[in-house]
This record gives sequence, structure tokens and C-alpha cells, in this order.
Amino acid sequence: MTRALAWRRPWGRLGLRARVTVTFGLGALLLSTAMATITYFTARQFFVREREDAILRQAYVNASLARSTLRSTGVDVTQLLASLDTVPGSLSVLELHEQWYSTSISVDRDAIPLALRTLVVSGTPATQQFDLGTTPEFVVGIPLPSVSAAYFEVFTLDELARTLRILALALTGAALVTTIGGTITGRWASGRALRPLADVSRAAQEIARGGLDTRLTPADDPDLTPLAASFNEMADALQERIEREVRFTSDVSHELRSPLTTATTALEVLEAHAQSMSARSRQALALLTAELRRFRRMVDDLLEISRVDTGAAELSLEEVEVGELMRQAAAAVGAGEVPVEVDQRVAGTRLWVDKRRIERVVANLVANAEQYAGGVTRLAVEPAPAGVRLVVADRGPGIPAGERDRIFERFYRGQSAGSRGVTEGSGLGLSLVSEHVRLHGGRVWAESGTHGEHRFVVELPIDRPPPGARADEPAGVPDEVSRPVPGDGGEDTPDESAAPVAAAGERARRR
Amino acid sequence: MSSKILLVEDDARIRASLRLALEDEGYEVDEAGAGEEALERFADQPADVVLIDLMLPGMDGFECCRQLRRSSAVPVIMVTARTDTHDVVAGLEAGADDYVTKPFVAKELAARIRALLRRARPVDEPSVLAFGDIEVRPDEGTVRRGGEEIHCTRTEFRLLCELAVSPGRVLSREQLLDRVWGYDYFGDGRLVDVHIRRLRTKIEADPANPRHIQTVRGMGYKLVV
Repeated sequence: MTRALAWRRPWGRLGLRARVTVTFGLGALLLSTAMATITYFTARQFFVREREDAILRQAYVNASLARSTLRSTGVDVTQLLASLDTVPGSLSVLELHEQWYSTSISVDRDAIPLALRTLVVSGTPATQQFDLGTTPEFVVGIPLPSVSAAYFEVFTLDELARTLRILALALTGAALVTTIGGTITGRWASGRALRPLADVSRAAQEIARGGLDTRLTPADDPDLTPLAASFNEMADALQERIEREVRFTSDVSHELRSPLTTATTALEVLEAHAQSMSARSRQALALLTAELRRFRRMVDDLLEISRVDTGAAELSLEEVEVGELMRQAAAAVGAGEVPVEVDQRVAGTRLWVDKRRIERVVANLVANAEQYAGGVTRLAVEPAPAGVRLVVADRGPGIPAGERDRIFERFYRGQSAGSRGVTEGSGLGLSLVSEHVRLHGGRVWAESGTHGEHRFVVELPIDRPPPGARADEPAGVPDEVSRPVPGDGGEDTPDESAAPVAAAGERARRR
Repeated sequence: MSSKILLVEDDARIRASLRLALEDEGYEVDEAGAGEEALERFADQPADVVLIDLMLPGMDGFECCRQLRRSSAVPVIMVTARTDTHDVVAGLEAGADDYVTKPFVAKELAARIRALLRRARPVDEPSVLAFGDIEVRPDEGTVRRGGEEIHCTRTEFRLLCELAVSPGRVLSREQLLDRVWGYDYFGDGRLVDVHIRRLRTKIEADPANPRHIQTVRGMGYKLVV
């Protein structure tokens, strides 16, 4: 049963980290705006009340002074107004017997709002805020009925307004800084919170690439421990299962070898005495021999492939000239008469390869062509963007486009392969090709060329010489001869190898 | 007189079938089911070639080969599980001259035995080859360093002779495989490398920085007088 865990994505395509960041940013914006607003209005109320109190106190002092002065006779009203103690920016206006006097020419009766004027003259003290031009003004009107007068004092609130403006500006700035800070914090915090997830993702990728023993380091954080534990549990289970399967294949193949050796050897003895057998017995013997050969090849291939699966495969790297490599490989598989075309651009190019494996690759491709396409018609070495291509071409029916990837699967037999006929192959040949090429960091594919030609292409990267290579052979430690995959090491041995391409054991295999 | 082969193999059926096949090839066959038994048998009746399976119960094939080497320069072929692992190199380091991989074909094995026996015979060469403080006597089959005899296996000795016959000339691994092991085509270069290494530990004053047997990168090996 396959069950995908779907994540709810209310915010459409936004990632988790972006969402956390936006949430932090919006939160900071909301909070800082609220704080700024409250601060502004509280401060404003305080400042305004303070100012109004001061204004009222001064206005009453001046009003009472004016009244006591007006009680005496022969008063110069203008002089009286001038003598009043006013703060800068405040003006006094006096109404006496319906006559208006002012300390300023610019401000007179008309400057005071009519409603307030009427109210005060009729005997009620009042205050009002109003705008004169662009500046906010505050007027206090105090009736002085005992001397038939009314005293007005006009204050400008210009300075207070400026203070409040600066305050508002500062608070807005602070809110903005807080919002940006919140967003940054959100980004940082979400990154931190997601770091364990990134670790999990890295570990999962590592496992997918074949590093089955990759595990997460258990975190000290109690919130993360279950995640690491369950991930590691899963990896354990997976590793055990894969290794059990791989071990099984390897064990089976190993166990098959002893009886196979006995059978092969005994059969050879029989063959040596075939002359003394009846024709029917000889026919049966021939069948046994052919079938045993195929069986042996199958066990060989299974072993080889299980070695790759268990990670026990090692590359014995040697430096070889690419054209020579192809010619030797062809000769070794009995395709020596097939022309090898080496492109001038790659002639003389040297590669670090495991000759035994590359020879197997060419051998299997040649065998495949013989089996399904009437044999190889052409072998070629061509340049590739970052390496070289070994081409094995035939003029057979070709491989349907839909099957071109699947032919590298183990035991895959395509539609075109038809009935088994007298197959010599193990069914693992092409998958071994792909494994060997992969070990070299290359790739292999099938394609249709021009003029009815079909070809298998093996692309190998041109590596720099392994760092282990030195001018003289190091003292003998077995490790320096063959190295584990991915083997960027090499053996320090003479590389210009003329003839032998196969390991000694290979000879038996190809008979 | 037919050559005698000692089979060291724990699987009785493989032993029986190999005996049949090798007797067909004209060899006399002796059998041992374990390493200890093999050493005893060899002490009693030395064989011309010993075939040792690396996977033996009790004393393993490596140890058996090492012990055998202490007293004898007899050609040894080991039977390994696989071609591309440390087993091959480790077996050669233990003193084996050659190897075959299971499952092998008896004809192939017989061919290797023939090659080992053929080259084990003396060849006509100068009676004394000398370089540095080393003195090689091909007719006697001895190597002396500073007048003291050094014990070499036959393969090591042949390898040294091939190099010493033409000092200064570079011999490729393939040429050496051909001349020393008798393989004209199929051969594993590791055979040469490991034997060269073993030879160096015996005749060089400082095997890590060899003076006489030198590697010529990309070409082969040569002997410097």
C-alpha cells in the first residue's frame, strides 16, 4: 500500500520558511504599530493637557490683572495690554465698552471665532482651539463683567504641533525598524528550526545514493530526538533488508561454485572420453556442456553483480590509451577483425580505467549484438564533451525507443528478443555493462544512428591521474594495487600494457 | 616420469573430479583435505606443483602457502573466490606463483601447471649474472647477496634472470608474463607487480626506494646495474 503524506498548504505555494518569516514580519508590524499608536495618543493627551493648564493659568492671571487695572480711572488700555505678562507667541485682546484692543496689529477681534466671542461677551468663560492660517491656535475668553469688559488671550500651539509631529515620525520609524527586525528574526528562527529537516533531507539523499549506513546524529534537543530516532530506525530496517537480499544472492552464487567446479571438471573428463561413447550419449553430453557453460556464466555474472551491490567491487585502475583499449577489448572477445575507428580528436587520449571491467563491457555489448543483431559491424572511439565514447554498432533491427532504458535491467528480455532460442547470455550482460560503466563514473545508452545503424554508446569521463600515482612503485601493500570504489587511486605499475587485458581468471569464463 | 601435483582442497568431490581430469592430462595426483595435512604430505613426498584452495577449514590457504614457502620453492597455484579483490594480491604476497578462479576449467588449470613446470627447468643463460652485490647463477638456480645465499621461489628467480640478462632494457609486464609465466595473451599484470615487489624485499637494501629493479612509468620494469 502506498500512502503519501500530504501537507496542508493554506498559503498556496509559499514555503514553510517563507510562511514563518511572513508571520513574524506581520506580527512585528501589528505589535509595533499598536504600541506606537498608543504611545502617540497618550503622549499627545498629556502634552496638550499640560499646555492647556499653563495657558489657562496665565490667562486668568492676566484677566484679573486687567480687571484690577481697569477699576482705576484714566487707564491707557493699550499700555495695559502691553504690560500684561505674556509668553512668546501669545496675544492679548481686550473688549471694553464694545471697543476692541489688541497687542498685535495682525490679530484683532475678527481673529477670534465669533461663537466664542459672543459667548464670552455674554458672560460665559470659554476656550476654543482653531486654526489661524496654517497654525493651530488656542483661545481663552474670560468675561470681566465688573468692569464691562472681556479678556481674550490667543496662544499659538505651533510648537506643540511640531513636537507631536516629531514624536509621530520617531514612532513610525521605530515601528518600521521593529517590523524589519521581526522579519529577519523570523527568517533566522525558521532557518534554525528547519536545520534538522535539512539534515534529514541530506541523510535521505545519501541513503538514496547508496550510502546505506548513513544515520542522523541523535540531537540533544528533546523535540528533535524522536525525529532522529525514527529516521534512523527506518534506515536500519532498510539497510538490513537490502543487505539481507544482497547477501542472499551472493551466498547462493558462492555456494553454487563448488558443485559447479565439480560438474565442469567431471564433464571435461567425460568430453575427453567422448570417442568411446555412443552418438546419443555424445549428443546428450554436448547439451550438458553447453548448458553448464551458460550456467557458469550466469553464476559469474550474478557474483559480479552482487559484488557491486554489496559495495565490495573494487576498481583496479590503469592508465591506457583509448584506441588501444578498444582494440584490445575487441581482440579479447574474438571481434578482432571488426574495424576500430578512432576519431582523430581523441587518438592518443589516455584514460584511467579498470581494464578487466571495460573489456567486459565491450565483450557483453559485442555478445549482445551477436545474439540479437547479427553481429557487430563497427567499433568506434569518439570524442564527448567531457570524455570519450566507445561505440559498438550493428545493423540489426534496433531497440524500440520504449525499451532502451529497460534493456539494462536485470534479466530483462525485450519484445524484440523473441523466444529464447539458443541464448548463450545470462540475462545479466547489459545490466553488468551499466554497473561497470557506472563504477567508472560514466554512462551507457542505446541509440539509432544514421543509415540503419544501431549503436550502444559508452561514455567514460577523462579523469586526471589518481593522486596516488607516483613515479616509482611504492613498497608492497596489497591496498595499493586495487582500490575500493570509487577508486580515484591507481596502481603504480607500468601502464603501457600491450596485450593482456583480462585477468587470468577471465580466460576460463570466455571459453 | 610424470610430474606430481598436490591438491589441497576441502571439497572431496572437487578433489575427485580434479584428480580424474589431471590424471587424464598425465599427472600424478596427491590429495590433502586440509592445510596441516598438506604440509605433512609435502614433507613426506614433495610434489612438483601445489594447488591450494584459499578457503580451507582450520589453517587457511594463505597460511598454508606461507608455511610451505618456508621450506620450499615449489610452484604454487592458488584457487581464489574472485578475481578483483585483495584475495588475489594477498595470495600472491603469501608466496603463490599464479592463481585460478572458481569455477575454473580443468584444461585451463592444466595449461597453467604445464607453464609452471616448463619454466621451472633450467634455460641456457650465462653462468653468472652480477650487479651491485648481487650474484645470480642461472645454472645453479642460486642468488647470492654479498656472498650470502638468498632464497627465491622459482618464479622470482626466473623474473630476476629475465631482468638481469638485459640490464638497462625495459621489459613490459606483458613481456615478463610471456617469458616468466608463459602466457602469450591472457595474464594478470598483478602477477608481475606482486612478484617484483617480493623480489625487491629480497635483493634491495631499501625496497621502498629500489636501486636495481626500477619501475619505468608507463612502460615496465628494468634492471639497473
